Amino acid sequence: MKEIFKPFENIGRNSRLLIIASWVIAVLAFWFISSMGERHLFPSPAQVLRGFTELYNEGLVVHIGSSLWLCLVAIVIAVTISLILSYLSTIPVITPIANALSKLRYLPLTGITFYLAIIISDARTMQVWVLVVFMSTYLTTSLLSMVSAIAQEEFDHARSLQCNRWEVLWEVVVKGRIDHVIEVIRQNLAIVWMMLVTVESILVAAGGLGFLIKNSDKFMNHGRIIALQIVILVVGLSIDFILNYLRKTFFRYSKI
Amino acid sequence: MGYSMQNTLLYVENLSVAYGEKTVIKDINFVEKDVIRKDNVTGQVVAVVGRSGRGKSTLFRALTGLIKPTTGKILIADTSTDAENDAKEVEEGDIGFVDQKYTLFRNKTVYQSLMFALRLKENMTKEQKHEKIMTYLSEWGLEKVKDQYPCELSGGQRQRTAIIEQIFCSGHYMVLDEPFSGLDVGNIEDVKNAFSLITSMHEFNTIIYSTHDIELAVELADSIYVIGYPTIDGKHAEYGTIVKHIDMKELNLAWKDFGMDHIEVVKQIKAVMMQS
Repeated sequence: MKEIFKPFENIGRNSRLLIIASWVIAVLAFWFISSMGERHLFPSPAQVLRGFTELYNEGLVVHIGSSLWLCLVAIVIAVTISLILSYLSTIPVITPIANALSKLRYLPLTGITFYLAIIISDARTMQVWVLVVFMSTYLTTSLLSMVSAIAQEEFDHARSLQCNRWEVLWEVVVKGRIDHVIEVIRQNLAIVWMMLVTVESILVAAGGLGFLIKNSDKFMNHGRIIALQIVILVVGLSIDFILNYLRKTFFRYSKI
Repeated sequence: MGYSMQNTLLYVENLSVAYGEKTVIKDINFVEKDVIRKDNVTGQVVAVVGRSGRGKSTLFRALTGLIKPTTGKILIADTSTDAENDAKEVEEGDIGFVDQKYTLFRNKTVYQSLMFALRLKENMTKEQKHEKIMTYLSEWGLEKVKDQYPCELSGGQRQRTAIIEQIFCSGHYMVLDEPFSGLDVGNIEDVKNAFSLITSMHEFNTIIYSTHDIELAVELADSIYVIGYPTIDGKHAEYGTIVKHIDMKELNLAWKDFGMDHIEVVKQIKAVMMQS
């Protein structure tokens, strides 16, 4: 028992499960106790459950689908732009462009949306491109570090096997790092998912989880707000799990 | 042991490599010729020894065409023509290179890596390539791991795969940067066997390797170069060059079991290294 309080101690699987279960019970107990009585900050579990039921009846599944679709479209476009720039960043003439896009992550979203609003009139397209601009900067940053982290030995190895420079790029960077790309998407997903809900709540177009949370917020329906937060967290974690699973299943050599 | 020297296989003249203001190696000159022994296919085994930071790895990167020399030239025998002593300047891929970490493609299995190494052999059919790979895998004890990725191989298995890749892809030359570092006794024996296999396959096959284990250099090589900082006007220069060449063939110590005479050479090399 003492071991679980010792730094760097290796513990068994059962002990680990027991610790997690204890924390979950503690959080749930705190929630139940703190939401009893008339004045409380968080809604009670019963209120949250009621919120779930209401949301489900109002088409929660359709809204989740809408958010996921928006996420997928934005990710595909942003990953394509970022990958092309990151791969081509190995060419000296393209390097400054890739680095500049990476630096743009410090630009505030408001400034970008102003200019996008001038070009785009459709709200859904606007949502997609706000996310694309935002995500591309982060994805490019991570992908550039992925490329620069490749050891010189790997390039030398390909060159010693008579690969020309384009083959080196293809074999070592493109084919050799597909699993890293999935990992980069997974790691940036949390920011993207958080941003997506914000974008949906600012630019109302085709519903989505952000739209639902904004509506619930307007009517101070705390049960619904917490229910939605839980849904957003669970969906986000599920995407994270799926991407990690895909990487480990399809890329046996991937030991990231 | 009787031998003679014929075609020039490697010719290095006034080689220097500098990164900006910093000269790493300078005034490197050496020639390696084809060693002929009666009734014996004898490749060349050349060892390069020297203390850390003296430019061994830079010399190897220049020899393999991975970096362009600042001055000088590196010529190798052009075996694509029938003419004797035809030479060509070294280019990327002419000389096989196995680095210290035995780098392989992380996303290719052993079999896929070897198939990739054979991709330029247009005169071979897919079946012939398969046959060749399977023969090598069996001879080099890698049959069981043919479908494994580099991260699933032991150090010795990775090294053997890296060596076969280079045999398949490059010509007669192979450079190995510290092939014995971090290997256990068994793996060292494997590398020694690999050296014998390579040198017994073709007269022109030439292995150039670096090592910090002077005993292994003296035991295996027939030509040893010591790289160090030269002393000019009583001062150590800040670049690496060849400070001593020991021809084990001339000393009648090449291709012999390690004995007392070899120990004397080891002592000599260590003394030179300490002074440079």
